[in-house]
Amino acid sequence: MNNKTILVLALTTATFVGCASFPDAQSTAKSAEQMVAEAHAIGTPDMKQRTVQDHSQRTCSAIGGAKLTSSQAAEITKTARDSIRYPSSGKLAGDWKTGARLTTDGRGQRIVNGKIEARKENGALCINCHALDPSDVNAGNLGPALIGYGKQRGNAEAVARYTYERIYNAWAFMPCSNMPRLGASGFLTPEQIAHVVAYLVDPLSPVNNSR
Amino acid sequence: MIRNVGRVAAMATVLAITLCPALAQDKAGNGLAVGRQMLAEDNPGELWVERGRRLFHEKRGPRNASLEQCDLGEGPGVVKGVFAHLPRYFADTGKVQDLESRLLTCMVQLQGFKREDIIRTRFGTLDRNSDLEALVSYIGAASNGMRMNVRLKHAQERDMYKAGEYLFYRRTGPLDFACVTCHGDSGKRIRLQELPNMTRAEELREIIPTGWPAYRGTHSTVRTMQHRLYDCFWQMRLPDLGYASDLSVALTTYLYHSANGGVINLPGVRR
Ligand code: HEC
Ligand code: HEC
Repeated sequence: MNNKTILVLALTTATFVGCASFPDAQSTAKSAEQMVAEAHAIGTPDMKQRTVQDHSQRTCSAIGGAKLTSSQAAEITKTARDSIRYPSSGKLAGDWKTGARLTTDGRGQRIVNGKIEARKENGALCINCHALDPSDVNAGNLGPALIGYGKQRGNAEAVARYTYERIYNAWAFMPCSNMPRLGASGFLTPEQIAHVVAYLVDPLSPVNNSR
Repeated sequence: MIRNVGRVAAMATVLAITLCPALAQDKAGNGLAVGRQMLAEDNPGELWVERGRRLFHEKRGPRNASLEQCDLGEGPGVVKGVFAHLPRYFADTGKVQDLESRLLTCMVQLQGFKREDIIRTRFGTLDRNSDLEALVSYIGAASNGMRMNVRLKHAQERDMYKAGEYLFYRRTGPLDFACVTCHGDSGKRIRLQELPNMTRAEELREIIPTGWPAYRGTHSTVRTMQHRLYDCFWQMRLPDLGYASDLSVALTTYLYHSANGGVINLPGVRR
C-alpha cells in the first residue's frame, strides 16, 4: 500500500469510526423530556409533578451552565421577587434555637418506593451547603461559609429582611444560583425561615457567638 | 500488511479525533487511578465477584439455563472487555443498554425470570442478596486493566449521549437540583461527602472506571451504577428512578463516554 491508499483508507475508516453527527438540540430535548416522563415507574401524579420544570428552571438548565442574557436574568429575578411571602406575624426573625435545630436537619420530602418520608416538617438543609456554627465541622461548602454572619452585618431590620428574602428565594438575588428556592417551592414555611434568619443574625446564636 | 492495518487504524483515529472534537477525549491517558488501587486491596467486593462468577455459569431460572449464551456486546458468553464498551446499542432489542439493563434482558429471555421479580430484588438488603449486584461485580472485574472506550458508533448511542448531557444539566424538583448542582465544581462537599466534578474528564476518568459496581461500606454490600443514580435521585427529592430506564442509561452513556481512557478497576470501594 502506498501512502495515498493509506490516507484514503484512513479517511474512509475515520468517517466510519464515528464522525457521524449528533442530533440537533431540539430533537435531543424532545427525546430527553420523553425519557423523564417515562423514568419513574411508581409514585403519585403529585410526585411526578416534581419532574416537570417551571419556566425559570428551564432557563437555568442550559447545557454547560446558563449564561443568562440580561432580559432572562431580569425575568427570573422578577418571578422570584413576586414569589416572596412573609410570616403572618410580620416577624422576620424568630427563635434562633429553633433555627439552630432546623439548619442542621437535612431531611424531608425524599421518596422511597413511592412514599414520601414521614416527617412533621422538613429540615432547612443549610448545613449541607454552608458552614454556620464554627464548632460544627460537619458542614458542606457548596455555598459560602456564613460563620459570623450577624456579627459582620448586624441584626438591623434591613439585614433580617435581606436574609429572609434570600432564603425564601435565592434567585431574586442571583438568578440560577445553586441555592434552592426554599420558601418559594414550599419546602420551608415562612415561620421556619424566620427561625433560620434569627439563627443567622442573633448575637447570641453560635453563628455569631463562637466559644 | 498487519503493520499497515495498524497504521490505517492509527491514522483513522487521529483523523477522527481531529474531525470530531467530541471524540478527542478517547485517547487521553490516566495517571490518577493509582491511589484507588490501594483501597481495592482487601476489597470485600471480591466475594461478590466470586458469587457472580458462579451465578453466571450456573443453570438457573424457569428455563434452567446459564448466562453463557448472553451477549453483552462482545459475543455470547464473553465477559472480558464488555464493561469498556457499555452502554452500547444492541440490535436484538433495538435499544442502547447499560450492563444492568442488558443483564435484565438476558435473565428474562434466556433464563425465563420475570422482569418484575428481578427488579424487585435488584438492590440487596442485609438479609437478601441481589443476583444483579453479584453478576455486575463479576462482569465489571473481567475488564480490569482495560481502558474505558464507549464508542458512540451507532446513531442511537449518540442520541443517548446527547440526551444524557441534556439531563445532566436539567434542573427540577422542589430543590431545583440538577446533577451539575452537586457535580459541577471541584473541591465541593455536601456536609463531609466529597462531590466529584463530572464536568472534568480527568475526574471522571478517575472515578467512573474505578467506581460502580463498588463495595459501599455504609451499605455492607456492592452497589451498582443504577443504584448510585437511584440514590442521587433520592437526594434530589425526585420520584424513584426506574431501574434500567432510558433516562438512567442516557446519563450513564454520557458519563461513561466522558470517562473514556480511564483504566477499569472494579469493583470499587466507596463509603
Ligand atoms: C444546595 C445548596 C444550598 C443550600 C441547601 C442552601 N444554600 Fe445558601 N447558598 C448556596 C449557594 C451556592 C450560595 C451562593 C450563591 C447565591 O448567593 O445564591 C448561597 C448563598 C447564601 C446566602 C447569601 C450569602 C451572602 O453573602 O449574602 C445566604 C444568606 C444563604 N445562602 C443562607 C442559606 C440558609 C440559611 C440556608 C438554609 C435555610 C441555605 N442557604 C441553604 C447554596 C445553598
Ligand atoms: C444534592 C446533591 C447531589 C445531586 C443533585 C446529585 N448527586 Fe451524585 N452524588 C452526591 C453525593 C453526596 C455523592 C456521594 C459522594 C460520596 O460518597 O463521597 C454522589 C455520588 C455520585 C456518583 C458516584 C461518584 C463516585 O465517587 O464514584 C455518581 C456517578 C453520581 N453521583 C452521579 C450523579 C448524577 C448523574 C446526578 C443527576 C441525576 C447526581 N449525581 C446528582 C450528591 C448529589
